[in-house]
Amino acid sequence: MPKTSRRRLLKALFFALPALAIFRHVRPTRHDDIVEVDGWILKRSDLA
Amino acid sequence: MIFQDMAAYRAASHTPRVAIIGGGVAGITIARKLDARGIPCVLFEAGGEDITEESQDFYRGSTVGDQYFDLDVTRLRYLGGSSNHWAGWCRVLDAYDFESRSYIPHSGWPIRRADIEPFLDETRAILGLREFKATYPLTDNFGRMDLIKSDAVRFGTQFRGELEASRNVAVVLNTTVLELAGDGKAVTGAKLFSAGAPAGDFTAPYFVVATGGLENSRLLLWSNAQSNGAVVPNAKALGRYWMEHPMYWAGNAFITNQDALEFDDEGECFMIPTPPAMAERGVANFHIQLETMPYHGTKQLIAEMACYAPRFTEWVSSAIGMHLQCSARVHIDWEQPPVESNHIALSATERDAAGVPRMELHWKKGDLDRRTLVEGMRMFGEDIALKDIGRLHISDWVLNGEDYPSDMELAGNHHMGGTRMGTDPATSVVDANSRVHGMENLYVAGSSVFATAGQCTPTTTITALSLRLGDHLGRTVAS
Repeated sequence: MPKTSRRRLLKALFFALPALAIFRHVRPTRHDDIVEVDGWILKRSDLA
Repeated sequence: MIFQDMAAYRAASHTPRVAIIGGGVAGITIARKLDARGIPCVLFEAGGEDITEESQDFYRGSTVGDQYFDLDVTRLRYLGGSSNHWAGWCRVLDAYDFESRSYIPHSGWPIRRADIEPFLDETRAILGLREFKATYPLTDNFGRMDLIKSDAVRFGTQFRGELEASRNVAVVLNTTVLELAGDGKAVTGAKLFSAGAPAGDFTAPYFVVATGGLENSRLLLWSNAQSNGAVVPNAKALGRYWMEHPMYWAGNAFITNQDALEFDDEGECFMIPTPPAMAERGVANFHIQLETMPYHGTKQLIAEMACYAPRFTEWVSSAIGMHLQCSARVHIDWEQPPVESNHIALSATERDAAGVPRMELHWKKGDLDRRTLVEGMRMFGEDIALKDIGRLHISDWVLNGEDYPSDMELAGNHHMGGTRMGTDPATSVVDANSRVHGMENLYVAGSSVFATAGQCTPTTTITALSLRLGDHLGRTVAS
């Protein structure tokens, strides 16, 4: 696997971690593609 | 000329046109400015040339409200004042800091930034600064600001030789102005305390109070109490609208695009919101300070894990003998809005060694402080996610509305307000020239005249305002 793909995968895994937790609080933001999950401010695509 | 006490000064038969009370950044800057115009002035410094417990004891006081620093620790009482423990971080208030904002009551100065800009070259020369770089856009709502981490100038040390050699400036050490006397139109004299004993009265055509962002209010409040309001005739705002820069570690972040941020040599980066972004969210000014961790490879991975699993990471960290933390700490420092109830009062029970009531600081953060903290962090988190610069986690205590932590920075040791500048005597103490409303010969210098606090460290602006006041006084006295 190319180094950049590995980094991208690792990054995606990191950003997805909050989604694996039991959500205590999910809050919409002013931007359609941004969401606040337990204090994490993430792109919706991070959770896909 | 430098004298160790008032007795030595009186023997010199010096006749000043201006009496400057306080030998810190503001006082020394004004004295040097007057010296350059050949105007004789005396500068009373309450302390000596080094810190002593006896001198610092005059600064003891109490705080009512939010947790704050000990009042005899947050400032220094010897030649050079609090520049003796200043960190050296420099930036000038931005143009919009001087403007009125509808969502912040009592915001707006009677001057604009353009009024101090003619003095910025001289300010940079005094503080040893390069040119400030313009803020450049980072996201839609944030810019990266230029904050200069300078070699802090200790004013007492830096300018001692020049002051000693001056034939116009007389520095009188170990000499406190206990109170000013007035007739409701002008200051008529000052009562002195020198080398531990009363030292009689003193008068000069002009007086400048430059004892610091806390002490200016105490001196004028006590003077007014002793003179039945004849020193500050319009005293409704005296001691009030006091401000700080609250600052807290409020979250952690992964940074995925370090190049976009341009961290400095210490791995830090400072961002400020745009005025429209602040207005849209109804928040005060603030800055975000990103503090990166100097890790790479596996250590960086473990450090970043601390964002998700702090206890697990602590265990791993101890197993490899390192204390590793999240990849970037996110600090927020904000402009505390001017609120009348945040004020300096005189203690009814405690007095210092010269018999002057000690200070009682009433200080509490309010709803707009909390809103700026929470919404400021959200604004930043949303913007860095949108631009794929990183991802932010806001600390639980911030989002849950818990009490402010007591084990963090708390504030910047920036003492602002109390004798704020304005046009309305009901909400301000000095006018656009720093002259006390209704008084012909009484001026106030230093950060106590700040009408609003902005988000940046105050020393650079204090220096620029002091140069402006020195210039004004020089022309006034000469005429």
